[in-house]
Amino acid sequence: MFAIRTDGLVKDYGRVRALDGLDLSVEPGEVFGFLGPNGAGKSTTIRLILDLLRPTAGTIEVLGQSPTAGGTELRARIGYLPGELGLPTRKTAGEYLYYLSRLRGGRGQSRIPELADRFGLELHRPLRALSKGNKQKVTIVQAFMHDPDLLVLDEPTSSLDPLLQMEFRALVDEARGRGATVFLSSHVLAEVEEIAGRVAIVRAGKIVDVDDVRALRERAGQNVLLRFAGPVDAAEFAHLPGVTDVVVDDHTLTCRLHGEPAPLLAAAARHHVMRWQADDRDLEDLFMDFYREPGDAVPTSEHDDVLPGPATDGGAVR
Amino acid sequence: MTTRTLPATPTTHGAANPRFGVVIGGALHDQQRSLVAWSAAVAAVTTLYSSFYPTMSTTQFELMLDSLPDFARAMGFEAMVSAAGYVGMTVYSLLGALLTLICAITAGARLIAGDEEAGVLELDLGAPVTRTRVFVERLVVVWVTVLVLVTVISATLLILTGAFDLDLSVANVIAASTGLAVFTGTMGTLAFAVGAATGRRAYGIGAGAAVAVTGYLFNYLSPLIDAPWMETVSPFSWYIAERPLTNGFDWGGIALLAVLAAAAAAGGWWRFRRRDLMV
Repeated sequence: MFAIRTDGLVKDYGRVRALDGLDLSVEPGEVFGFLGPNGAGKSTTIRLILDLLRPTAGTIEVLGQSPTAGGTELRARIGYLPGELGLPTRKTAGEYLYYLSRLRGGRGQSRIPELADRFGLELHRPLRALSKGNKQKVTIVQAFMHDPDLLVLDEPTSSLDPLLQMEFRALVDEARGRGATVFLSSHVLAEVEEIAGRVAIVRAGKIVDVDDVRALRERAGQNVLLRFAGPVDAAEFAHLPGVTDVVVDDHTLTCRLHGEPAPLLAAAARHHVMRWQADDRDLEDLFMDFYREPGDAVPTSEHDDVLPGPATDGGAVR
Repeated sequence: MTTRTLPATPTTHGAANPRFGVVIGGALHDQQRSLVAWSAAVAAVTTLYSSFYPTMSTTQFELMLDSLPDFARAMGFEAMVSAAGYVGMTVYSLLGALLTLICAITAGARLIAGDEEAGVLELDLGAPVTRTRVFVERLVVVWVTVLVLVTVISATLLILTGAFDLDLSVANVIAASTGLAVFTGTMGTLAFAVGAATGRRAYGIGAGAAVAVTGYLFNYLSPLIDAPWMETVSPFSWYIAERPLTNGFDWGGIALLAVLAAAAAAGGWWRFRRRDLMV
C-alpha cells in the first residue's frame, strides 16, 4: 500500500487544466518533496488528497482509500497545513487551536501547549493581530498536534525564521520517527532539500522528474573555478569528459563539472594552479533547468547556466 | 528539545468524530460581537417606533389618512390607527424586518460562501467532519442569529406594551414574531444555500435580497394593479398579508415559508456535497 498514489490524475477548472495526468507514488514512512512553481498544480493535488476537490479523471488513493470514500475516517489520519489560509479574525490562537482539536473529537488537545511553546506561539493573542510567521506557527501546530499518519504540508516554512525552520525539521523528524509519512510541497528547493528523501518535480500539471535529493544534487554538478599562474587556453579544457561551460578570463577558468574530477584535475595539473574552488550547484539551479524549456522533456544537466525567465505556465519560480 | 515517547506504530484513529454542535459553537463565537450590535440596533428601532405611537392621537391619524393617496392605502397605512396596525407596519413590515433581514442574509451568505472565499473554511473541511455536518451546523447558526434578533424585538415590544399602554396581545406578538423569524430565516437560508451551492458570497446575498425585495414589492403592488398572483407568490405576503399582529398566527403562510426554506436548504446541501471547494 502506498501512502499516496495517483494514476493519470486530471483536474480541470472549467477550461483550465490544472493537473494533466499526474502519476505519483509516495511510500509509507517517507518524507516526500513535491516541488514546482506556483500554478504547477501542487495545491490542486493537495486539495484532491483532502477531498476538497474531486478528480476530473484518473484515480487517487490516500492510505489505501479514495479520499471521497475514506471520508472522515481518512481525514482523521491526516494532518493538513494549507498553503494559503484565512484565519478567523475573532478568535485567539488558542481558541482556534482548541476549536480545531474539538473538530477532531478532542484529539491533539493535550499537545497544543507543548507545540505552541516550542514555536514560541502566544496562544492568547487574537489571530487577526498575528504576523505571517506567527500565523504559520498556528497552522504547524494544528497539523502536527494529533500525531497524524500522513502529513500534507503546503509550503510550511515559507514565513519562518531559520531557527524555527530547524524546529520544524525536528518536528518532521519526530513524525518520521513514529512512522508517519510526510508530503511536503514547496516552490523553493531549500525548503525540502534538508528533510526530504525523494523529490518529485511537477510542472504544468505533470511530474517531470522523481529522484533522491542526493541524486538530484549529483546531477546538478559542481561549479569549478581554477586560477593559474599564467594564461591558459580554453580549448585545452573544453572537450574534457564531464566538463562543460568552460570560460577563460586571462588567468582564471570557470566550468561546470559532472561526475569524476580526474580528467579536469589532470589537465589543470599541466599548469601552475594557484587556486581551486568547487561548489555544489544549488538544487535551485537544477530546479530552474526544468522550467527553462517550454517542452516537457527532462532537460539534461549539460544546459548552460543562463537564468531563465518566469516559467512558461505563468507561475513565478521564486 | 522536548523529549517524549513516540509510538512505534502509526496511531489508530477510531472515533475521531466531533460531537454535534462543535461547528455551531465555533461559528457563533466568531459572530457574537456583531450579533450583540445587531440586537442593540433592532431593540433601538423597536423602542423608537413604539414610543412614538402614543404621541399621535387617533384624530391626527384619521386626518392624515384622509389626505393619503391610494398607494399609501395600498401599503396599509389605514391600519396604523390601532397599536397593532401601527407596530405591524413599522416594526414588523419596515425597519425591524429590514434589519433582521439584512443580518440574516449577510450571515447566511457568509457562513459558508464568505468563509470559503476568505479561506477560513479550509481547515474545518480538512478535519474529520462531513460536509453535511458543516452545512447543517452552519445553517443552524443562521437560524440562531434570526431567533436572537426576533426574540429581542419581541421582548422589547412586550416590555413597552406595559410602559406605553400599547395594547398589544402577547399571543399576537408571538404570532407576528414567529412569522418574522420564519420569513427572515427563510431568506437567510436562501442566501446560505445559494452561497453553499456556488461558493460565492455575492450570489448568496444577491439571491436572498432579490427574493426578499421582489416579494416586498409584489405584496404592495398586488392590490394596486389588481394582480392577486403577485401576493400568491410573494414570500413577504406569506409572512405579513394576514396581519399576524392583529389576527394571530397565519399557519398557511408559515408553512409556505418553511417549504421554501426546506427546498432551498436541500438544493444547497445537494450541490455543496458534490462540488469542488476552495476554488
